[in-house]
Amino acid sequence: MMQMRRAQPWLGTLVDIAADGALPDAALADAITQAFLEVALVQRLMSFHERDSDVARLNRALPGDSLAVHPHTFQVLQLAQAIAAASNGMFNIACAPRLVAWDCLPAPSDAMPAYEPGLEVLRCEAGGMVRKLAPGWIDLGGIAKGYAVDLAIGALIDAGVGSACVNAGGDLRVFGADAVPVAIRDPRNPYNLRRGGASVLLRNEAMATSASYFSIKEWEGGQVCALIDGRSGAPLPSAASVSVRAPRCALADALTKVIAASGDIDHPALREFEATALII
Amino acid sequence: MRYLYLPLLAAGVAGVVHAPAFATQYLNVEQAQRLMFQDASAFREQNISLTLAQMQQVEKLAGLPARSVNWRVFGAYKGEALLGYVVLDDVIGKFELISYAVALSPDATVRQIEILTYRESHGGEIRNPAWRRQFVGKQAQAGLALGDGVANISGATLSASHVTDGVRRIAAIGQVALKK
Repeated sequence: MMQMRRAQPWLGTLVDIAADGALPDAALADAITQAFLEVALVQRLMSFHERDSDVARLNRALPGDSLAVHPHTFQVLQLAQAIAAASNGMFNIACAPRLVAWDCLPAPSDAMPAYEPGLEVLRCEAGGMVRKLAPGWIDLGGIAKGYAVDLAIGALIDAGVGSACVNAGGDLRVFGADAVPVAIRDPRNPYNLRRGGASVLLRNEAMATSASYFSIKEWEGGQVCALIDGRSGAPLPSAASVSVRAPRCALADALTKVIAASGDIDHPALREFEATALII
Repeated sequence: MRYLYLPLLAAGVAGVVHAPAFATQYLNVEQAQRLMFQDASAFREQNISLTLAQMQQVEKLAGLPARSVNWRVFGAYKGEALLGYVVLDDVIGKFELISYAVALSPDATVRQIEILTYRESHGGEIRNPAWRRQFVGKQAQAGLALGDGVANISGATLSASHVTDGVRRIAAIGQVALKK
């Protein structure tokens, strides 16, 4: 049992930080506070909803505009680009117009751009600048939580904590000497943790899970959800759930979408990013 | 299935017979207070009851109903100086029950939010006030994950919008009823 465990609402979910060892209680509390500050920073920079976030500014930008963004945002955009390239466009951060069309996200403005698979909306350029190339809206919801978890873990390690687990609404990462048991929700019964689902042991690694059971809804005679196949913009409502283990949570988070879209637990992108996947 | 509600027994066995499927006790009230106002020398219970006019003002400010007349509030003091307030609240989802605390500055801006307990149950119990009463006032050991030893869960993202709505409501209550 961890020495201290706290949770705060960030990134649209609860972020749970458990930390243990090597520090007295007051210092441990401070370390966890530092970790939450990193999460808060990611929210400020990458929230779709906050007007002054880098994401909102990029979404308001016109083709041709060049914007300075925070180095964290730049890193996430570059990682998103790498995952898109490795997945043939299955992972695509520019899917936001689809989510807005289905009322999963609020419209940032009235002029909604059409989602075009394969259209390059943003380009990362020298000096940490990002150029808007074409009309489009991005949403970093499929990768920012994982990135926030990685930063939080970094803050805890920097503070000298012995072991820790950071869990942002189901995307989590652990570090420390011991293996940590993690239960994966049964997609057929996500609130019943007594049976069904799966259990894994994680050690100095991250795991993220994507599924449609909390976001699925009826829309115009069909089903939509927050999981989208970037190649077509089509929703991926499914009875299954995809979990990915990877060294970093940002990778695990983004790669779940690739496995969900491809249905392939041996997708080559996994090996490229030192990850493994399971579908339950 | 009928339960015989025996308050004295329940106090001892609540964690065994009616345990939620998953629960984590993060902080108790005192720990949350001390964490959120590290300089405070005292916390004084200063509960409030909103008037109808105040409830209407809260609804207008927050864009949400005020929901309750009575609110549990503590003033945080360093000597006689008011450092701010700690407001307690519970929100109930379909399957989750979340107790949390909000620290407000004297001008009612939100300083910090800490979850006290998170409980989740797959049956309908969460919506049953009698079932929820088992947990009122019980001080479980902090950091303890209850219920079959599940301590860490991975799954699709569970929205915490009812918590953020609750915080927005509390911020409005602070503006209307606490701010000097």
